[in-house]
Amino acid sequence: MQDLLYFIQQLINGLTIGSTYALIAIGYTMVYGIIGMINFAHGEIYMIGAYTALIAITGLAALGIAWLPLVLIVALICAMLVSSSMGWAVERVAYRPVRGKHRLIPLISAIGMSIFLQNYVHLAQGSRNVGFPALIEGGFQFGATDSFQTSISYMQITIFITTLVCMTILSLFISRSRIGRACRAVSQDLGMANLLGIDTNRIISATFVIGAALAAVAGLLLGMYYGSIDPLFGFIAGLKAFTAAVLGGIGSIPGAMLGGLILGVAESMTSGYLSGEYKDVVSFGLLILILLFKPTGLLGKPEVEKI
Amino acid sequence: MSTPVKKLVTAIATSVAVMGAGHAAAEIKIGIAGPMTGPVAQYGDMQFSGARMAIEQINADGGVKGEKLVGVEYDDVCDPKQAVTVANNMVNEGVRFVVGHLCSSSTQPASDIYEDEGILMVTPASTSPDITERGYELVFRTIGLDSMQGPVAANYLISQSPERVAVVHDKQQYGEGIATAVRDTLEEGGVEVAMFEGITAGDKDFSSLVTKLRQADVDYVYYGGYHPELGLILRQAKQADLDATFMGPEGVGNKDINTIAGEAAEGLLVTLPPSFDEKEENQELVKAFEEKGEDPSGPFVLTSYAAVQLIAEGIEAADSTDPFDVAEALRDGTFQTPIGTVEYDSKGDMESFEFVVYEWHSDGSKTPVN
Repeated sequence: MQDLLYFIQQLINGLTIGSTYALIAIGYTMVYGIIGMINFAHGEIYMIGAYTALIAITGLAALGIAWLPLVLIVALICAMLVSSSMGWAVERVAYRPVRGKHRLIPLISAIGMSIFLQNYVHLAQGSRNVGFPALIEGGFQFGATDSFQTSISYMQITIFITTLVCMTILSLFISRSRIGRACRAVSQDLGMANLLGIDTNRIISATFVIGAALAAVAGLLLGMYYGSIDPLFGFIAGLKAFTAAVLGGIGSIPGAMLGGLILGVAESMTSGYLSGEYKDVVSFGLLILILLFKPTGLLGKPEVEKI
Repeated sequence: MSTPVKKLVTAIATSVAVMGAGHAAAEIKIGIAGPMTGPVAQYGDMQFSGARMAIEQINADGGVKGEKLVGVEYDDVCDPKQAVTVANNMVNEGVRFVVGHLCSSSTQPASDIYEDEGILMVTPASTSPDITERGYELVFRTIGLDSMQGPVAANYLISQSPERVAVVHDKQQYGEGIATAVRDTLEEGGVEVAMFEGITAGDKDFSSLVTKLRQADVDYVYYGGYHPELGLILRQAKQADLDATFMGPEGVGNKDINTIAGEAAEGLLVTLPPSFDEKEENQELVKAFEEKGEDPSGPFVLTSYAAVQLIAEGIEAADSTDPFDVAEALRDGTFQTPIGTVEYDSKGDMESFEFVVYEWHSDGSKTPVN
């Protein structure tokens, strides 16, 4: 019984962290799906989202506003606005001028952007850890045995539900809306979509904006969950999210979700049953295995040679 | 003092020394090498202030074997290259005893020169274990090693007779080194180490680790590493209602941990070097510093004082000013200094350097527990 509760607890831990990987992974996978480049600055957009949310929360507290739903909504909107404009600006400044060149060039440009944003926040906000207020506290427990009970915090539930909601809205948006249809067209053939009258530049910008907005949601959620942020925390999270995107099949949105959850659960099970030291060994080992046997990732479609 | 002026003074001092070499030496030179300028100059100030006070007081008491001590001061800026230059200057000046250097990275290259040239060195501040690992005969210190905190922490834990202890570290040299020392001492003391494992520095999510700690039902968790990770672990442990006391080394004991962990930092145990200036037996000395308008509370003031005192007592005990004789006397003897009783092992490390267990509070203050 206790073993089962322990397993469930580790599963909950894994699903929580996995959901946030998935939210960030969306940004990688959408951009890759459409223009075939890896936006390495995406982790930094997420970090900036977290900082913006913190600034908004601090500002509201200074104004004496403490009503939780209002604080959360204002922080979320601020973070999404700033991150989205960042995402848009990064694409406009660093990627559009080099689009269509050799594929290494946008990649280098992306790495440069990532370093620039990291150091910019270092200078603007200092390199120390900054505390993030835990706005949603408490949780409930079940299956109490003498020594171990499984607990879920409200924060974990919030993270999980928010991720599901965001994913559902995004999937509906891609499959039903005009812009979504245009996105799919651009991802199939950029040149052809252009010929058919789709403003591809606008669609690509929209992709960056959507990815950045979701990263901002993740930034706010994780800031509250962990309680401290620093200018480097986007980098590591970005790396993990990128792995999740590749694992699930880069370019595929359900794949990003699946990849994120698998990665999160694999990590928490490894630290739970083996040792925390092997966490990254297992998650990256998994990635190598999948790439060896299914190079397109779990849900990725094999690329059809275009003639 | 600007550098050209200092060089001039040095040159004059050197020529005076050369001229005086024919006579029986009426004084014993004590080189003091540390940062007077640069980013860590405030630590250098502590060192010079402590060493000068010791020289002054020893001279006031009649010197060493009737001879006066003379301080010869050099600025190494805590820069390894500058430290080598300083060491060569010491050699040229005929200095045979050095109090310094301050930074481990400076002490290491300078000590090569001192060992080759037969100069005895006592560092009042360098804690890197490597410095005394090379089998040098003339290298000593008046400060603990990074690796000494582990046993202190473990012995404190043993004294609390816990049922199970978990030891966690960040897989880095400092953290894993201390954590390993803690584990070994605990096991020798018969305490069950339920868990020994590493985390990744820079990680944010420790929920799996916390779940594991709850499952293992430990009373204490020792963490070897720095504050960013421990702060998050403390916070996540509190959220998950983990009922265990955490303990960490010097690397976690600064106010940043309160920013990260908030309320969860209350009750954390930390090993730190003691505040020597608060000891009863040092009050007279503390007053002497205060009369000069100097602050004796810095961590390296009294270790520097003790370094000079040990050299003086070593010379007395050996009845010789030959550094090798003095080194032997230091290794053989037991000395009473403001930093406690000093005994040396064969490597030149103190047999015991007291680290004190403090209880940390959520407002960033600390109180000693033993």
